[in-house]
Amino acid sequence: MRERGRFGAEMTMSGEVIRLDGVTKNYQAGGPPALDNVHLRVTAGDVLAVMGPSGSGKSTLLNLVAGLDRPTAGQVAIAGRRIDKLSETALARFRARHVGIIFQFFNLLDDLTVEDNVLLPAQLAGASRRQARARADELLERMGITQYRNAYPARMSGGQRQRVAIARALVNSPELLLADEPTGALDTATGQQIAGLLRELNADGQTLVLVTHDRSLAQRFAARTVELVDGQLMSDTAAGVPA
Amino acid sequence: MNRLTSARRWLAAIRTATGGVRRHKLQAVVIGAVLLIATASATLGFALLSASNAPFQHAFTAQRGAHAAVGVDAAKASPAQLAATTHLPGVTAAAGPFGTDTVATALGGQLFGQLTLSGRANPGGPVDDLVLSAGHWASGPGQLVLDGQSAPPGSGGPVLGATVTVTSLRGQPKLTIVGFANSVTSTADGWVTPSEITQLQATAPAANGQGTRHAQVPGAQASTQMLYRFTKAASFSQVRADVATVSRALPSGAVTGTVSWLSAANESTGNGSIMEPFVVAFALIGLIMAVLIVGNVVSGAVVASYQRIGVLKSLGLTPGQVVVAYLGRVGWPALAGALFGVVAGNLLALPVLNDSAGAYGVGRQSVPWWASVAAPLGMLALTGLAAAGPAIRAGRLSAVQAIAAGRAPRAGRGYAAHRLAARLRLPRPLGLGLAAPFARPARTLVGLAAICFGATAVIFAVGLSSSLGRAEQAQNHSASAPVVMQQNVNGPQQQFPSAAQDAAMVAVLRAQPGTAHYVAEYDNQVKVTGLAGNVFARVYGGDAAWIGFGQIAGHWPDGPGQIDVNTAFLTQSGLAIGSPVTVNTGTAQVTARIAGEVFDPGGHPDLFGSAGTLPGMATTENLSQYYVGLKPGTTASAYREAVNRALGTGNAWQAYPPQGGNFYSIASELIGLLSLMVAVAAGLGVLNTVLMTTRDRVHDLGVYKALGMRPRQLLVMVLGWVAGPAVIAGAIAAPAAVALNSATVRAMAGTAHTAIPASFTAVFPPSRLALLALAALVIAVAGAFLPASWAARARPATALRTE
Repeated sequence: MRERGRFGAEMTMSGEVIRLDGVTKNYQAGGPPALDNVHLRVTAGDVLAVMGPSGSGKSTLLNLVAGLDRPTAGQVAIAGRRIDKLSETALARFRARHVGIIFQFFNLLDDLTVEDNVLLPAQLAGASRRQARARADELLERMGITQYRNAYPARMSGGQRQRVAIARALVNSPELLLADEPTGALDTATGQQIAGLLRELNADGQTLVLVTHDRSLAQRFAARTVELVDGQLMSDTAAGVPA
Repeated sequence: MNRLTSARRWLAAIRTATGGVRRHKLQAVVIGAVLLIATASATLGFALLSASNAPFQHAFTAQRGAHAAVGVDAAKASPAQLAATTHLPGVTAAAGPFGTDTVATALGGQLFGQLTLSGRANPGGPVDDLVLSAGHWASGPGQLVLDGQSAPPGSGGPVLGATVTVTSLRGQPKLTIVGFANSVTSTADGWVTPSEITQLQATAPAANGQGTRHAQVPGAQASTQMLYRFTKAASFSQVRADVATVSRALPSGAVTGTVSWLSAANESTGNGSIMEPFVVAFALIGLIMAVLIVGNVVSGAVVASYQRIGVLKSLGLTPGQVVVAYLGRVGWPALAGALFGVVAGNLLALPVLNDSAGAYGVGRQSVPWWASVAAPLGMLALTGLAAAGPAIRAGRLSAVQAIAAGRAPRAGRGYAAHRLAARLRLPRPLGLGLAAPFARPARTLVGLAAICFGATAVIFAVGLSSSLGRAEQAQNHSASAPVVMQQNVNGPQQQFPSAAQDAAMVAVLRAQPGTAHYVAEYDNQVKVTGLAGNVFARVYGGDAAWIGFGQIAGHWPDGPGQIDVNTAFLTQSGLAIGSPVTVNTGTAQVTARIAGEVFDPGGHPDLFGSAGTLPGMATTENLSQYYVGLKPGTTASAYREAVNRALGTGNAWQAYPPQGGNFYSIASELIGLLSLMVAVAAGLGVLNTVLMTTRDRVHDLGVYKALGMRPRQLLVMVLGWVAGPAVIAGAIAAPAAVALNSATVRAMAGTAHTAIPASFTAVFPPSRLALLALAALVIAVAGAFLPASWAARARPATALRTE
């Protein structure tokens, strides 16, 4: 049984937003896999924290879920749709509509204003000018950065930039929000503010996958934590209890 | 010890550079490829400049041209006597005797004209070293090597393996074309083996009475040719004096004719000087573009390495070592590119110089040794200069500054453009693409200049071809009179067609349903008061305005007492349009008024008028040809065949196509080839610029993709990077090409001693110019397409990892 999700994607009745089956990723033939036979399911409205030491495969996992890369083996389904076999164009269309990504170093486009940065994914997805602007206004206000709409990212603080990045990630109302070390480049206080923002989003029903080194952030914030070591899923814990 | 340590440090810097080359293969390949192209272009440019500089003199020296070709009656001078002339004072080298014969020929059932054949065992020798341009030398019976200048291979004329029939001799011997060769002074129209020429000389004329005046009969005098080089042969009088010395050494009457090298030199100088302006224009465009592209790529490569330079400095490399390391990094691929470029340039120059040699009327042109040295050295020096500036700057920067400078374009640049583009109602990827060039204004300007030069070359080439096409039509009237009736070269052996034959031919023309107009032209020399020497007069038996003269000023004579003249006439006489002139036709002296100036290149004064204005000119003796204009829908070749069929074999008259377009067709080919090369070089310049920009912005491209930019949208964005500069380049290139075309055509006309009609340069109506200006966009998009496709296909995760 399937139902239509936002933007027309199919979502299973069980509410699975992410489904990984036997996913393996090798960057070099014959070398050790960055991800090794990973099985994972995330349901709608969950917050999943992905933890692990450097080189454990966290970012690779995030790239595969975001459709930024393709697995060497296995299947990746997001919102009920296999994305590992999609063409580059279909993947791009899929990313624009169903996935929002927040990067550790923000990855804002320095030559665009804050407002233009936020509007960009909507414009690329073909949203109407009026709709996109209204959504951007709403998000800028929610992130508390309306006064910076005409500013350039390079002149803003790290916290402000990450707020811009979050607004940009949400402009197309994606089913899935992926955050790669969202507080990693921020001081503690600013990191806590950003974490609070993400928590608010989740409270509104936003499914979130959080890649972090910060165990306390994961514990305070995520309902479920998986740990990767050398590309393998070593543990899967729900609210402090093994899942 | 200190020295050893220092040497080790420097070696470490060099190893760093070599390691850099190995790790950055694509960049090394790009630098090598650009140097290859630039060096090849520069070699070709230098070769063309050299080829345009006194081409005849160079070819004459290289091919040991004959100062005089002396025709000798073999019956009056023995071989021993001829051999003795080679030791006369003033004779520095001699070749011959070569048997010669002038025969009428046909090719593929069509008349092929009279050929002077010479019997030579081989093409080389101390004098008149022939250049074999195709095929092989005649080595057996029935083999013929044709003069490539009078019948250039590939010109739609005879080809290797074709059979030439000697129609003027009994049995109509057949000769197979086995090669094409060039004599710098055109000592013959074709060459056969010595035994072949002896056999041809011994063959009786054709029994049907169609043998030419020049054909020999058995037992009659055999003609031979001696070729000489003299100590002093700089003027006609010196050559005459040299030949007189030879004549005195031979029995009286043995010398039957002489051809001086100065005649060929004058003719070739006329052609060559006409070619020079556009060859120089293309060569300069190519050289400037090569310099721009190399400077852009090399400095870009060093700037792109700033981040790595910063890291190396943080590890302890001194500023001097950094400079050496990065000069070395671009140096190795540059050296390889330059070396391969010289080879490529020489290979490329072969067909171009073949064309150029054909246009200049010389047998062979080659790449001068200095071009093969100057081009790579110049490009390597340029590479060093282009790399040194950024490398020295990198050496002076602190490690942190270098890392920061290497990461992104200077902050703040292009922001306003992006803001404006975001407000425009354009597809977002296109808006992003159009604003991007403002982030790197210097690189954008260099790219714009490369596109501009390329587009200028293309528009200029199209315009020049049109201008030359109009000049060709004004000279041979091929557009309005595609058929000319001329004396049959294979006709009866009488000097002029009779009045009855003329009338019969005119009746045939009238009977043809396709005939629209015809008019007779009578040619002869006349005297004009105020002008020393003779004036060549072309007189028409009726209305000739429809023939299509290139009217420079005034109008075509439209009433009695009017004549038109060429530019040389006005220049030499000092007269102007409207001036009265007194013309002595030999039978009458008349005063006429100059009504107009027509395009008729050459330094000799010519006048044009009607038979009514210039009495006594329209005689059978002066009758030169008839121009025939056809009704719409009539095919010229079918018309000519019908007329010739109606006239019958052996008629005094024959229908021919207009002649005299060889120079123009060779020039057009050369223009096409040169403009294509310049356009390709410009496209490669764009490719390199876009490649560098995609490398600079690879991380941003990854972000765009992560945000959902589709491959096609990314393609549009990257093409947008070059679209704006291309539009500006097109807007600059269009008027620049118009000006260049006008200047070049005027320069060419100046060397041909003529003014030109305004129509020759008015070849760019606005709609056509607007269309041609799109060449800039085509060059830019073609150049950017490959790197844009690569960027579009790249996986976003790969792009995001690459920083």
